[in-house]
Amino acid sequence: MNFFEIRDLSFRYQNAKEWTMQNFNLSISQGQIVGVLGRSGSGKSTLLRLIAGLEEPAGGTITIAGVAVVGQQKFVEPEERGVGMVFQDYALFPHITVSQNIVFGLHRLSRAERAKRLDEMLELVQLRGYERRYPHELSGGQQQRVALARALAPKPAILLMDEPFSNLDADLKGKIRQELKEILNRAKMTCIFVTHDNEDVDAICDRVVYMEAGG
Amino acid sequence: MYRQTFRRSFARIRNGWVALSLLGVAAVLLPNLYILLNLFHQPNENWQHIREYMLKDYVLQSLWLVLCTGICTVLIGVTLAWLVSAYDFPLKRFFRWALILPLAIPPYIAAYTYSTMFSYTGAIQKFFRYQLGMTVDQKYFDVMSVKGAVFIFTMFLFPYVYLITKAFLERQSAAYIESARLLGKNSLQIFFQVVLPISRSAIIGGVSLVVFEVLSDYGVTSYFGIPTFSTAIFQTWFGMYDLDSAVRLAALLMTGIIGLFLLEKLLRSRVKFHSSTSKTRPLKPIKLGGLSAAAAFLFCLAIFSCAFLIPFVQLVAWAKLSYQDVVNRTFIQLTFNTLSVAVIATVVIVVLAAVVANVSRIRESFFSEVAAKLIAMGYSIPGAVIAIGVLSVFISLDQQLSGLYSLLGWGEKKLVLSLSLVMLVFAYVIRFLAVGFNPIEAGFEKVGKQYYEASRMLGLGMTRTFFRVDLPMIRGAVLSASILAFVEITKELPLTLLLRPFNFETLATKTYQYANDEQIIEASIPSLLIIGISMISVLLFHRVGEEKQER
Repeated sequence: MNFFEIRDLSFRYQNAKEWTMQNFNLSISQGQIVGVLGRSGSGKSTLLRLIAGLEEPAGGTITIAGVAVVGQQKFVEPEERGVGMVFQDYALFPHITVSQNIVFGLHRLSRAERAKRLDEMLELVQLRGYERRYPHELSGGQQQRVALARALAPKPAILLMDEPFSNLDADLKGKIRQELKEILNRAKMTCIFVTHDNEDVDAICDRVVYMEAGG
Repeated sequence: MYRQTFRRSFARIRNGWVALSLLGVAAVLLPNLYILLNLFHQPNENWQHIREYMLKDYVLQSLWLVLCTGICTVLIGVTLAWLVSAYDFPLKRFFRWALILPLAIPPYIAAYTYSTMFSYTGAIQKFFRYQLGMTVDQKYFDVMSVKGAVFIFTMFLFPYVYLITKAFLERQSAAYIESARLLGKNSLQIFFQVVLPISRSAIIGGVSLVVFEVLSDYGVTSYFGIPTFSTAIFQTWFGMYDLDSAVRLAALLMTGIIGLFLLEKLLRSRVKFHSSTSKTRPLKPIKLGGLSAAAAFLFCLAIFSCAFLIPFVQLVAWAKLSYQDVVNRTFIQLTFNTLSVAVIATVVIVVLAAVVANVSRIRESFFSEVAAKLIAMGYSIPGAVIAIGVLSVFISLDQQLSGLYSLLGWGEKKLVLSLSLVMLVFAYVIRFLAVGFNPIEAGFEKVGKQYYEASRMLGLGMTRTFFRVDLPMIRGAVLSASILAFVEITKELPLTLLLRPFNFETLATKTYQYANDEQIIEASIPSLLIIGISMISVLLFHRVGEEKQER
């Protein structure tokens, strides 16, 4: 069995006639970075939401790190799946600082462990000196790195990224792609990466999956 | 496949949030259902009498009041909204918010203030008699009539229409009105051919609030001795001690209200004007000059004086005469009663509203949509109906629990819950849950679901997410919800009058009692206190509206 596996996953939105996704299959081995390409409306983001547990599929199974999170009579709530996610617009909590954002998911750790992990994360995304800033005081690229640090801090089994570059200026993209690739490799993360830009895939991913509407 | 989903969702209902919100909605529904079910019972002989001799009067009188008030509030509210949003004239910026102030004066307070001012010994007739030396015909000064009631309702409820129409015109009408101007229409043509039709939905929204207030009114109509549905319910109950018939009247009124409620939804849903572009320019006002500026100014001033300034000044004058007699230990007790019961009910309302709003935004399902609609409907059900429903439910609860009471050694006491404050608080919650729910729902909508989802992905459950992420972000909405609900409760009259425990007086009931005992001057101080508290909410409401506009 693979590290991550989706079998016969089907989904449609409430009141929608058409299937967003029907009998979708995907398997990924540990440490792989997989790009998911497709037009808007092809169900890329829905795929991530299904893996995350933010949507409930009509049928099919999802296994993460050998544990079934969606099955016949099983639905593991998002907070218990060990999945990290970087949202398209980052969703950094605006009312707390950068460091509070990063340690947000570390409530199970002791105070000392939390401080240590925060330190590691700041080092990883190179944001030392920005701990006390609020998200709106950062540039787009910095916000993205905070979002990444926040998602990686609880050591998720798999990282999901939804169009992480869509909010960045074109001239920044090249540099940030490179950074992201390095960070992910250093963290040895298994990652699913949704985009509509071929260049993203070429620069970062080990493998590509194409999605089409209803597929 | 479907069974799989179903079974899984069933398991997830065990979630405490869902359970609590189900419980809340059920509690809100229970008294109303109880009343509606009564329609299927066998009526008693008293009912025959009521139906034959009185029912027609109640229906016609209520409809007549609603119709006249509706038309007058639309005329005044829409005209003012148009003046203020499309033109510039002296003191316009002041009138823009000052014209909302009449909402701070509960109509029943306005009713006794005006009727006393216009009475033979009141300030106005005295002025004519002594200053002008005129003898006036009493018939022109009869405020305590249907005409007077329409005047009072119009003056103190028109801001609902004004507020909603103004917001619509200022934000969404610019493109239409400017094209009409370019097409060579004059102001009057624009008003009738463009403004009125496009603001139809907003006007209906405002006027429906007015209608529900009028139907719910007890203070004005009972003081003026006008038989309406709401006063009839009280009469049958306290005059004839016929609870069954009172419930039956309430059921009929509620059927009518539900009809109106559906009608409003229908009228508004068929015509929805949305600007085709998402970015709308605000309407740029035209500067008025000379005579028209003076006319606009005088019109606004006249309405503002009648609807706020005159009664307010009169109350202050009375307060100066009476404060030594009124402000004493009993009065402080009264204020304390009012505030404490309002705080308790507000807390319950805000907590329940937050729970239901949170569940309905996260689980977008049929249930959550229905729950939100049902809660919103609570506000349109008249106080008298809710009072009678709650009382019936509590009396039968007491009957069910009588075994428990004797077990607890309370002896033969039959009524425990229905003589306690619990009943009053429960009734407030049903009546005003919508007041707290709407701002909180809007707050959640503004924040969106993404932060909630981000927090769930970081390993926090629904409850911890609520306290660490959602609550800090909707703080403002929770505050407005609390203030609005608090003020509504402080002003509330019929529910409090009916359901309060024996000898439990609030500012509103004391005001009403003073007024009914012809101690008008003594009533001024509790009235002013109520008005002062209400002004907080009116100004807050205004501020929140302005903020939205800036965005």
